[in-house]
Amino acid sequence: MTDQTTDVPVRLSFRQRLNVPVVTAFGCIVLLLVVGSIYSPNFLSPEYLLQQLKVGAFLGIIATGMMVVILLGQIDLSVPWTVTLGAMMASAATAYGPMGEVAAIPFGILCGLLIGLLNGVAVAYLRIPSMIITLAVNAVAQGLMVAYSGGFSPQDSASPAMKFIGAQSTLGVPHAVVVWIIVGGLAVFLLTRTTFGRAIYGIGNKESAAYLSGVPTQRVVVAAFALCGALAAFGGVLLAGYAGKAAQSMGDAYLLPAIAAVVLGGTSILGGRGSYLGTIAGVILITLLQSILSVMQIAEFGRQIIYGVIIVAMLLLYGRDQKLR
Amino acid sequence: MDATNPLFRMEGISKRYGGVRALERAELTVHAGRVHAILGENGAGKSTLIKIMAGVVAPDEGRMLLDGREVTFPDPAAANAAGIVCVFQELSLIPELSVADNIIVSHPPTRLGMIDRRAQRGLAEEALARAGGGDIHPSTLIKDLSLSRRQIVEIAKALARKPRVLILDEATSALSASDVESVFGVIRRLRDDGVAHLYISHRMHEIAELADTCTVFRNGRNVATYEARTKTDEQVVELMIGREYHNVFPPKPPRPEGKKPMLEVKNLTWSPRLNGVSLDVSAGEIVGLGGLDGQGQRELLLALFGVLRGASGDILVDGQPVSINSPREAKADRIGMALIPEDRKTEGLMLPMAVRDNLSFAAMSLFSRGGIIDRSAERRAIDEVIKLLAIKTDGIAVPAGSLSGGNQQKVVIAKWLMRKPRIILLNDPTRGIDVGTKQELYQLLRKLADAGAAIILYSTDYDELIGCCDKVLVMYDGAVKRMLAGTEITEKALIASALNIDADLKGAGAMRPAAQ
Repeated sequence: MTDQTTDVPVRLSFRQRLNVPVVTAFGCIVLLLVVGSIYSPNFLSPEYLLQQLKVGAFLGIIATGMMVVILLGQIDLSVPWTVTLGAMMASAATAYGPMGEVAAIPFGILCGLLIGLLNGVAVAYLRIPSMIITLAVNAVAQGLMVAYSGGFSPQDSASPAMKFIGAQSTLGVPHAVVVWIIVGGLAVFLLTRTTFGRAIYGIGNKESAAYLSGVPTQRVVVAAFALCGALAAFGGVLLAGYAGKAAQSMGDAYLLPAIAAVVLGGTSILGGRGSYLGTIAGVILITLLQSILSVMQIAEFGRQIIYGVIIVAMLLLYGRDQKLR
Repeated sequence: MDATNPLFRMEGISKRYGGVRALERAELTVHAGRVHAILGENGAGKSTLIKIMAGVVAPDEGRMLLDGREVTFPDPAAANAAGIVCVFQELSLIPELSVADNIIVSHPPTRLGMIDRRAQRGLAEEALARAGGGDIHPSTLIKDLSLSRRQIVEIAKALARKPRVLILDEATSALSASDVESVFGVIRRLRDDGVAHLYISHRMHEIAELADTCTVFRNGRNVATYEARTKTDEQVVELMIGREYHNVFPPKPPRPEGKKPMLEVKNLTWSPRLNGVSLDVSAGEIVGLGGLDGQGQRELLLALFGVLRGASGDILVDGQPVSINSPREAKADRIGMALIPEDRKTEGLMLPMAVRDNLSFAAMSLFSRGGIIDRSAERRAIDEVIKLLAIKTDGIAVPAGSLSGGNQQKVVIAKWLMRKPRIILLNDPTRGIDVGTKQELYQLLRKLADAGAAIILYSTDYDELIGCCDKVLVMYDGAVKRMLAGTEITEKALIASALNIDADLKGAGAMRPAAQ
């Protein structure tokens, strides 16, 4: 029969226009706040909310890079130690006098960028599955950092600039939130208004079609991974500023939340579909969830279980909307 | 007609997909011991009919009778159990498994719950022998066999299920000439054993040679059933398309002489699929690629477009040698090439993405500066091309996958026309789209050629090559075996050279003159 008959049925549902996942994620945020406010009215206070946004900003910046890679249909599992590496290298640079202090933030980001480049080249040119190579690179980064620090938390502390953007506020607005807004704004622009953004969505949907359209797919993949590495390291730099210094395994708590935030925000784990607005919602949702679970003094194991169950449940909810393929 | 009771009957079968009517109260009666050919254009409803018979899709209405009793097939296994077995045109074999494993894949003989390999091998050998592939070793892996041999295995697999009705859907299109002969022998033998055959092929001479009864489908209905060889080819074709044939194609302009070629290819090789292809195409010319499926036509287009690594040979554009190592280089202004790929779903489009994003995807550099898209320029270019090709879409924000097949194909072509390419390669662009859209595409191609484009058109549809092309290069085994130009382009000549023989073919007689 003609293809037109076997094609996807003509169906641009209302639900798609509404962008269900984003709406669901924001709905869940409201729900969490309502539940939390029953528990304690403090959950609706501006101080608490700003504090959550500040905590969320670190995750938000890391998840931005993860989103770009997931949109390609790839994954970056090297994020945890790229975060740590960014934090440690920036702190290390700080120890080298005034010049080091100035270079601390760019140097941290540069180190992450190099890790990302390595991932990208391996995925795009050597055709190693991203799940494998990024996991391996994560292990290598971990080894390097342990070797560098001798297995202890390094003595170097964060530079003043790192503390300024990571920990301080102006008129009650944490600088980390401002940084996230800037990074987010740039990400939205990149994804929606540039040829690079279009190429990312195109590759995520059908790499062969994108390649045959004359898009330099390999270069785009490398750039996306490099961006992810740089943003992860930048997140680490901010975290070091927030905490005053870098710490071993400080990035480990960010892998699953970053992936979960992206996916809960409606980005298809298979790539090609998703909006940054969804990622913002996902980040806030995850941050609130973590906060409420800890405020409710649920034991760590219970938190992990609830956390995992909620992610699976939400993914099942979205699964129904993915018929168009 | 046979006086005996029919073995299988379909009555009042209708099927719709979305808004598209695939079958409308179709009827079909199949008798044991006969070869029943089904004819019709792509999209006439043949494949749907067969999928319903084979239990792949369920009809919206109508009933099926086997031995006079009503039957329904909820899945292909049920149809197989009833003795209706289909050899699909898409190969369904698993490349990493052996021939024997593949043949017996659905119901392997077991002993104590384990597959009885010896019994399996015996069954496979028997089925292979019946399918005319006795020389294929049952433990060979499928991936080590040629396409033609694989198709024989496919037929053996069907025979192992002891069919009463055997459906062959374009089962010979992948076969080499000698395998076609042996498959015909197999079919005749089975027919004498009382197996009913449904035979679908676009090759008129095969039908004339093999069929006992023919049924023509058009627009989802059976329009005529007749004894084979009682109608001339012209009559059959008019039944198939429902109107005078030559109106479909726009008239060809006279061929200009002595024009310098825009694209020249010398000795292009990508072994083993391309063995020294040379050709040239001038501006304003539509050059067809003919031949049996899989003789290197697709590879030739991909090699020109810079997709195949390690292709050697010279490519000259406007007389200047160029090297094309990727689609990105091919589409650059210096060369200005476009490729309409074979499979619009995986190669041409990103189905879930908006029509807008698909249309502008290949031409992004035209309306962006420093990587930043100028949305209003993009919008203007898209509106223009949507109007030019009369693409029917519910806005440009809907996913490309929601369009009909014909409109999807228009989007694929439109996205390349946005670049105003000088050299256009088309890989079977009309496959699976409706007649109306086809006609529009033929006219579009001619318009593009008249505007100065050099066009290479690969088509599996001989009519298209005859109707559209100024010259046709017939390929065989990765090389151009013959060039036909002007009035030489006839179905007879195309088939003879496709099979790499010069002899006249029975039943392939001058089916119709080349449209002038």
